[in-house]
Amino acid sequence: MKKLCALVGRHRRLYFKDRGMLISSFISPAILIVLYATFLAKVFKESFVSALPEFFTVSEKIIDGTVAAQLTAALLAVSCVTVTFSVNFTMIQDKVSGARKDLNVAPIGKPTIYLSYFISTVFNSLMVNLAALALCLVYVSSAGWFLSVTDVACLVGDVVLLVSFGAVLSSVICYPMTTQGQMSAVGTIVSAGYGFLCGAYMPISSFGEGLQKVLLHLPGTYGTSLLKNRMLRGVFVEMGSAGIPEEAVNGIKDALDCSLSFHGHAVTTPEMLLVMLGSIVVLGALYFVIMKLDKK
Amino acid sequence: MENNVIIKISHLFKSFGEVKAVNDLSFQVRKGELFAFLGVNGAGKSTTISMICGQLRQDAGEVEINGRNAVLASGETKRELGIVFQDSVLDRPLSVKDNLRSRAALYGITGRSFEKRLGELMELLDFSSFINRPVGKLSGGQRRRIDIARALLHRPEILILDEPTTGLDPQTRMLIWDVIERLRKDEGMTVFLTTHYMEEAASADYVVILDSGRIAAEGTPYELKTKYVNDTVSVYGASEEDMKRLGLAYTPVRDGFRFSVENTGEAVALITAHPELFRDFEVIKGGMDDVFLAVTGKELRGDNK
Repeated sequence: MKKLCALVGRHRRLYFKDRGMLISSFISPAILIVLYATFLAKVFKESFVSALPEFFTVSEKIIDGTVAAQLTAALLAVSCVTVTFSVNFTMIQDKVSGARKDLNVAPIGKPTIYLSYFISTVFNSLMVNLAALALCLVYVSSAGWFLSVTDVACLVGDVVLLVSFGAVLSSVICYPMTTQGQMSAVGTIVSAGYGFLCGAYMPISSFGEGLQKVLLHLPGTYGTSLLKNRMLRGVFVEMGSAGIPEEAVNGIKDALDCSLSFHGHAVTTPEMLLVMLGSIVVLGALYFVIMKLDKK
Repeated sequence: MENNVIIKISHLFKSFGEVKAVNDLSFQVRKGELFAFLGVNGAGKSTTISMICGQLRQDAGEVEINGRNAVLASGETKRELGIVFQDSVLDRPLSVKDNLRSRAALYGITGRSFEKRLGELMELLDFSSFINRPVGKLSGGQRRRIDIARALLHRPEILILDEPTTGLDPQTRMLIWDVIERLRKDEGMTVFLTTHYMEEAASADYVVILDSGRIAAEGTPYELKTKYVNDTVSVYGASEEDMKRLGLAYTPVRDGFRFSVENTGEAVALITAHPELFRDFEVIKGGMDDVFLAVTGKELRGDNK
């Protein structure tokens, strides 16, 4: 245990010493919030308003709160996963610098070394994403706050879950990589593509039926939906209180991917949690198997 | 354990695709000795070291450290080895102390034990003046000292040095050799060395010369010099007529003449037979450079010939 802690401490110190990486990790979510608010908020708002039946009058606060919650949930869903790919850089950097040779000759098992990379990635990514969550909550409060303390606590839990998912996913993908070039290429691809695949940039309800079926088999979709459910729960309650019929609220939930249907089964929030937990376990087992099969 | 053997390599094989990097290698290293492992780049030295350290799995053969199979008992054997790699493998952004602290913890050395050991190593390798400096900002010689300190953190029985002094200034080389000698003398440490400097190999207890993954020659420096190279005799104050009387091929030098004999015994016989000619002379045994050239047909420094 002491050895594991020493390794995690070493990886974390290396991360903090790399000022460029540290600053860019923290700035990225902030930049995303600004970009989302600047370019997407208006589109989301117009699309939301146009989808409402003509005879409904919804307060500006609810509309702005809905848009802000939707945007921030999407941002967090992307950030929790993509940040882990840049933070997991130490695993590859150690191979490039030769530091791995030095760790390999020490009396510690390979599983301890790889577990240490995973844990430090979780810690460092959590730090960035919890800061991002705080920023998101500030943005939401400025647009329209409908969250309870429980919602915020659940959001923190969801961020931990998604970061753990991102950390184990990046660990599996980055395992065979041996150069910084490969890592940055993968980081770019993941940053560009993950938002679409998990339904963050565009609700998957707006995609074709075939694509929807494919995306519903990816765990990231449920992670995004989980965050959306947390962020929008208060808004939906407020909509009900404002007299909007339940059918209309459910329609909005469907349109925003808060309700997902997997082969005809309506996936509940606890089931989404289980999907994410299961994915972490499966990917973790895969990480272990890859490591065990690697005889180098 | 037979003859105090601390490392035993038996019929070791390792190939990378078609390239046989190590080809049926067998040798032994005795406790407390300075063992020199020589060969041109690509001869298989680093591959062998990687297998000794458990970094690389051999295709066949066995590596025993202190009588234990290095693969099966890797945890215990790793504690017995201290390794100084060819290139520094410490974390350049971290300070010397942070580097040593994180590595020491991997051997269970923490807190006061670490501080005590750090103090001993600082004294031994004289690095207290830059203990808080990032490793990336150290000179080559300073970094080498820290590499050695890292290898010695856990008081290993065997110190493996992979070209430890390449590219270092003479002063640092001397310091490093002083430290190695002290460790051998005071702690009975076994030193396994690969080097490109033949004068370093000349002071080894035993030498193995590797060529294309196989042992080309082995023995003590004396045995190798006796077996593979001639002695050179320089005679001063003799005339050319005297030299012609010897009936040997000679070369005129500034103050006399120089000729080659097979061994020191032959030189002694000549000197005894012609005392009037050998009034001022010296007999020099061939060096390890000559041994290496004679054995492999290659020079160790620069390009292969």
